[in-house]
Amino acid sequence: MVEFFTIGVLLRLTDTRKTIAVTGVGVVSPYGIGLERLQAGMLSGTCCLKRTKDDVYPGFEGTTARVQGLALPGEDSGFRYSRTDQLAIMAAHDAMASSGGDISTFRESGILMASTLGGLTEIDAGIAKDPAAWYRRPGGLARAASYPFAHVADAVGEHFGIRGPRCAISVACASGAVAIALAGNMLIEGMAPITLAGGSDPLCPFTLSGFNSLQALDPEPCSPFDQNRKGLNLGEGSAVLVLETLAGARARNAKVLAVLRGWAMNNDAFHSTAPQTDGSGLADCIRLSMEMAGVSGDDIGYVNAHGTGTPLNDIAEANAYETAFRGRNQPIPVSSTKSYFGHCLGAAGALEAAITIMAMRSRTLLPTLRLTTPIESSGVEWLRGQLKRQSLPLAMSASSGFGGSNTALIFGSGLS
Amino acid sequence: MTPNSPTVAVIGIGSVSQYGPLAGLIPDTPLEPTAITAWASDGLRRAFLVPPFRPASVVPGLKTRRLDRLSVWALVATSLALKDAGIDITQVDRSRIAVVFATAFGCVELTEAFYLSAAANGWNGTDPITFPETLPSAPASHVSMFHGFRGPNITVSNKYFAGESAMMQATWLLRQGQADLAVVLAGDALARSMYSWYEEAGLLSPACYDSHSPTQTDGFIPGEGVAALVMELSPRAEARAHARSYGRVISGRWAAGGQPAEIIRQMLDGCVPSLTICGGNGAPCATSVTAALAREIAGDRAVLLPRTFAQGLAGTGALFHLILGLGDVARRQLGIWPTGGRALLLGTARNNGFAALLLELP
Repeated sequence: MVEFFTIGVLLRLTDTRKTIAVTGVGVVSPYGIGLERLQAGMLSGTCCLKRTKDDVYPGFEGTTARVQGLALPGEDSGFRYSRTDQLAIMAAHDAMASSGGDISTFRESGILMASTLGGLTEIDAGIAKDPAAWYRRPGGLARAASYPFAHVADAVGEHFGIRGPRCAISVACASGAVAIALAGNMLIEGMAPITLAGGSDPLCPFTLSGFNSLQALDPEPCSPFDQNRKGLNLGEGSAVLVLETLAGARARNAKVLAVLRGWAMNNDAFHSTAPQTDGSGLADCIRLSMEMAGVSGDDIGYVNAHGTGTPLNDIAEANAYETAFRGRNQPIPVSSTKSYFGHCLGAAGALEAAITIMAMRSRTLLPTLRLTTPIESSGVEWLRGQLKRQSLPLAMSASSGFGGSNTALIFGSGLS
Repeated sequence: MTPNSPTVAVIGIGSVSQYGPLAGLIPDTPLEPTAITAWASDGLRRAFLVPPFRPASVVPGLKTRRLDRLSVWALVATSLALKDAGIDITQVDRSRIAVVFATAFGCVELTEAFYLSAAANGWNGTDPITFPETLPSAPASHVSMFHGFRGPNITVSNKYFAGESAMMQATWLLRQGQADLAVVLAGDALARSMYSWYEEAGLLSPACYDSHSPTQTDGFIPGEGVAALVMELSPRAEARAHARSYGRVISGRWAAGGQPAEIIRQMLDGCVPSLTICGGNGAPCATSVTAALAREIAGDRAVLLPRTFAQGLAGTGALFHLILGLGDVARRQLGIWPTGGRALLLGTARNNGFAALLLELP
């Protein structure tokens, strides 16, 4: 059985039509537009989290990270764009630009865009109190039309005239990573020559208030994996990866930034908001992704963790890494980059996939900021303090979310 | 997704709709929209509404307090579909069961409730219990939690083809070995803000306001409900004793533009479907575009036009269109396609968007 499985993995990894290449990465983050700005900001250790008062909604006092200044590229397609849409469009533009080729290269591309919020930024409580009156306000109908989360995929597609299969994904905070995993499935099935996959979510009173009501927010900049962690901070942003088969990428001479070697999705089936304390759901997910990639725990050089900074998430995640990487020769290096610009919800998994690729390409392991007294774990090397320079042939991005969803993505720098 | 890939069988059906909670096919009894009483309005307002029922009477032990109706229906429809499929979930590896849920609007009722709590108490006084239940993925999560399904759990949306998209995503998960069984769900619950939007946009059929007005092809009559399919790779399904198959998904394509007829013919690879089941959202222009494309592909073969009640579910109605079409197949009402023929589930969108799934009928 094991031999049969190994042969299956080898066949997939040597079939360039079933090997998924990342040929473009687009990012809109609190550092600005583009992976270069993100990289410059993170490698310099700059934290974008800021104490704010009355910023997102009157009465809110806490810490968030904002994207400053949004100017849409290209022509207005006639759609009304929510902030979620705008972030996604700019990230998609950046991703396509980084992938080479003009817009005709992407005309038949698939689009898998994730969001938890959709157009919630465009509406307010008035819509629930008296919807008819709210819609009669100037622009009311159009604003509400951007509410369904499918709109974010349509906005990207319509803005750039892309007519391949498109679909929106919403799997809580794992959404962006799930979109990338599903893009892998879509490409293997031959449904599109190229797929733009990622996530987008803005800061919004609805979510900030929700997490505040759950008492999940740290009023100060968060400290993921610290024993004294107090909760998460919300940020905003979007990231989009250009994914295509290796055969397709070679045919158009696209530069291969990384290879999506393995991916897995599963569910804890445990609780609406809490992960299993032993982290067994995420551990299983990691194991499945390594099986798909045909690698062992020793092969993974770095894990970009979900690492929200909430007491329950971080202990469950630490336990998951202990279990999934048990038997490794060395503790697994892990960090949470949410300590730089907060938790971007449906965009987080895609942003962290982009950061993982950035780490591989720059041969740099990013530390978790403000990690002074890490959770005790013999199987994990908590990255903190200084940057660590190291070659990274394989790295993982792990994501989890409300409702128990887990996703693990394994990126490789090549096919070795 | 090509004709040479392994096929995926639909082995169970469940639904919660205006017909109530049902396992298996939906009876061929046309229903009229019913009067909305959930919110006050000046004059008659009608829609295809799910009648009240006690979830625990359908699924023993099911607790639904504080859940959005959409989550409740997803739980009930899943249980009914599993029952219809004859699957005893205690006897299967639940880490290998995927849930793929399609919704256009998500949990709108609790989103409205959350907004109202913000209006009443300020943003710093919102309800922590309601918040996580407002996520579009909450219904799929509840299905996994209640049944212990630990495989992939995905929520998708597409303005016109959410149901078809979910079926295709599930098919890929099964074919790529990421799950052994998939529960595919599609649906929405009608909320006041949604109904008002259709009304203010001038999209509603006169039948929404007048019980004497005919309900055919004259505009949109909003609806609600959830349909569920249990899907499994055909060889696995056939290996089980007493396994049923309503149909096998052979191939599928969808796109937001291009040349639909050409792409679908390419997918059909020379086959002409003996039956084309049209989806549609009730807008007369959309229905006529779908029907015209169906005729172009099917020629003189049978074409089933969208059913009014399923149209009311807009992008998530495809599963209901399919279930109703399969009901017709079972009843052999049309009597013009041979046993073992192929059916095309077809939906269209503006700018030549389309979704097409080819199924082999039993």
